[in-house]
Amino acid sequence: MANLSGRARRKNTYDAIVVGSGITGGIAAKELTQKGLKTLVLERGPMVLHQQDYPTAMTAPWETKYPQGQLPPAELAAKYPVQRRTNYTMTEYTQHLFVRDDENPYVEENRFDWIRGYHVGGRSLTWGRQSYRHSPIDFEANAREGIGVDWPIRYEELAPWYDHVERFIGVSGQAEGLPQLPDGHYQPPMEMNCVEKAFKAKSEARFPERRITMGRAAHLTDPTEEQMSLGRTKCQYRNLCIRGCPFGAYYSSNSGGLVAAERTGNLVIRPGSIVTSLIYDEKSGKATGVRILDATTRQEEEFYADVVFLCASAFNSAWIMMNSTSSRFPNGFGNGSDQLGRNVMDHHLGVGASGEAPEFADKYYSGRRPNGIYVPRFRNLGDAATKRNDYLRGFGYQGGASRQGWDRDLGKHDSGSSGFGAERKAALSQAGPWTIGLGGFGEILPYEDNRVTLNRETRDAYGLPTLSINVTIRENEIAMRRDMQTAAAEMLEAAGFKNVKGRDGGYAPGLGIHEMGTARMGRDPKTSVLNAHNQVHECKNVYVTDGAAMTSASCVNPSLTYMALTARAVDHAVQARKRGDL
Amino acid sequence: MLNRRDTLRGLALTIGVGATGWAERALAAAGPAPALTWSPTALSPDQARLLDVVADLIIPKTDTPGAREAGVPQFIDRALANYYEKDQADKLRAGLTRMDADAQIAHGAAFIALTPQQQVELLAAYDREGVEAKAQTPSQSHFFPALEDLVTVGYFTSELGATVALQYDPVPGAYHGCVPLSDIGRAWATR
Repeated sequence: MANLSGRARRKNTYDAIVVGSGITGGIAAKELTQKGLKTLVLERGPMVLHQQDYPTAMTAPWETKYPQGQLPPAELAAKYPVQRRTNYTMTEYTQHLFVRDDENPYVEENRFDWIRGYHVGGRSLTWGRQSYRHSPIDFEANAREGIGVDWPIRYEELAPWYDHVERFIGVSGQAEGLPQLPDGHYQPPMEMNCVEKAFKAKSEARFPERRITMGRAAHLTDPTEEQMSLGRTKCQYRNLCIRGCPFGAYYSSNSGGLVAAERTGNLVIRPGSIVTSLIYDEKSGKATGVRILDATTRQEEEFYADVVFLCASAFNSAWIMMNSTSSRFPNGFGNGSDQLGRNVMDHHLGVGASGEAPEFADKYYSGRRPNGIYVPRFRNLGDAATKRNDYLRGFGYQGGASRQGWDRDLGKHDSGSSGFGAERKAALSQAGPWTIGLGGFGEILPYEDNRVTLNRETRDAYGLPTLSINVTIRENEIAMRRDMQTAAAEMLEAAGFKNVKGRDGGYAPGLGIHEMGTARMGRDPKTSVLNAHNQVHECKNVYVTDGAAMTSASCVNPSLTYMALTARAVDHAVQARKRGDL
Repeated sequence: MLNRRDTLRGLALTIGVGATGWAERALAAAGPAPALTWSPTALSPDQARLLDVVADLIIPKTDTPGAREAGVPQFIDRALANYYEKDQADKLRAGLTRMDADAQIAHGAAFIALTPQQQVELLAAYDREGVEAKAQTPSQSHFFPALEDLVTVGYFTSELGATVALQYDPVPGAYHGCVPLSDIGRAWATR
């Protein structure tokens, strides 16, 4: 398509373009518009309006079309062969918030579970909401151990932006004073239940270095005036978050960043806009905007801006860059380092331990807490006591205790007890035994050959190139998993729980739904794609601030760090633009 | 559950002259016949009548409603029509057919015409069979445990099951982590 000129071009020109409206796109939009930039947010999927587009948010168990809201196996196999792999994301309640795999193909050179949603808000609507800061040791680890490349920033540089983001989104949690998990600005923590409190007391007595704290989660427990002014209210303890929260109690772009951006009058959001490439101007050495494919009309269109933020998710931002070739960038936009698409990381999980709690049979809880307990990393913290000789880095545990529900004997007709009758009915109508579980989230190291590549042969429903994905875990992760299982069982046993079972249920890359690293930040343009401000080394008016930017993964849930990097990068971009440096 | 004569009398009536023995005696004492109160899609009327009885044996009416009152047979019919793969649905239908055949062989009457005691004995045999089948070939599913599970799911996710047998609170508003069980009572319907 020819370049627009004159009036048409002016109509499609903004101060800034944000590609993607998920967890980072929402923050980019909010920060840019609040700093006065006319901002266009391009989202490839349809609009999801806060509250009115959460059709299942109030659906009662008896109002589902299918048993327990589970989609028919034939439909899952035909439309959602990948999205179903988590076993929890793809249901009648959430179907509209995840992609159809048959329309969004990719090639799995090794199994990779790419779980995603294409709509306004992206995965900020369905995320796990756990919100932790990377620590100083996370930012230093690559340099100290000679792994990958050094982060071009340190914790202290990001700390004020963690503050900034936490204050805006609202995070409930408990300050613990641990160097490996820096404290932030927290609303009151959610409450541990009886069994969790007992676990904390007994396990910490035996393993004092393994602190047990309440999960730090982006749920409002004591909303600020700013949050209330956006229409958000405190958590109602429904635990139906993944359907969209009509109370705006957990943070999403839809209830937070995009609302704040909208109120500035500086936001234009264009759903159904699949960004296919960046437009590069050889003369100025800058990106002048982006090309899109309109998902409805299938027409191409161009939009222009002084600065472009790629917030499309690690894989899709990399895809856009790989698909943006020119004589300056024959191998992909800003890819002089050949690092674009490489160093894919996730968090490996699915390993831990569980047990039964014989005490507290006379205790119960009310409300459904959308959060659990957290055990911050306690391995390889830089001292001799925590040093492991079998692997680098570490892991944290997420877990919790609860009483089993009415479904506790489904599929378990091997106990000899009758599966029918009044006695069983009466038993299932009462709270079941307490159980407790811990599941590890482990750091994956950056490996250059864990990569996504542009696949021009396999095309999606729009005829666009797709990705081939080849990611595996290695010896370091496998050794870590053994420890993750053993240490979890040790803690549960130390607390006196019965029938403690360690378990490694296996992990396929992607299942952490934390894919990152495809355009890493670094100090040297020869070995990294982005600089210390998330600018593409080779084209400074393009910023990439989603998971693509990550130089290492830490073991903590990454969204808070993406958001902090985004807010920091916007601040840089706005100042650079004012100075005329972009 | 063995005292649910009224229901069984009524059911005996619906099968009319085919009933023998206990059912005939029941017939003599029975009130008006409750016809099938719903129209099955995936089941035949006979299978639906049988399911009405079996569901209520799996989750009987006690101090809280039973499976039939909670609409579980309709729930299962719906699941067979729009959820299960054909081979799974066929397996369940074949199980229902078998129950009637076994009842005929053992007692010379359709399942719903048997005495509650006879019905429960047959179910107990299926239950044991299901346990043994699972022990031998864990991958193979026996129709009866599958039916027990389906009735259980249907019941506890029904409005009556969730709100009367269990407790359902759509908007708790707060979380209290350590409360005397006696302050709460029945189990929560959702987690």
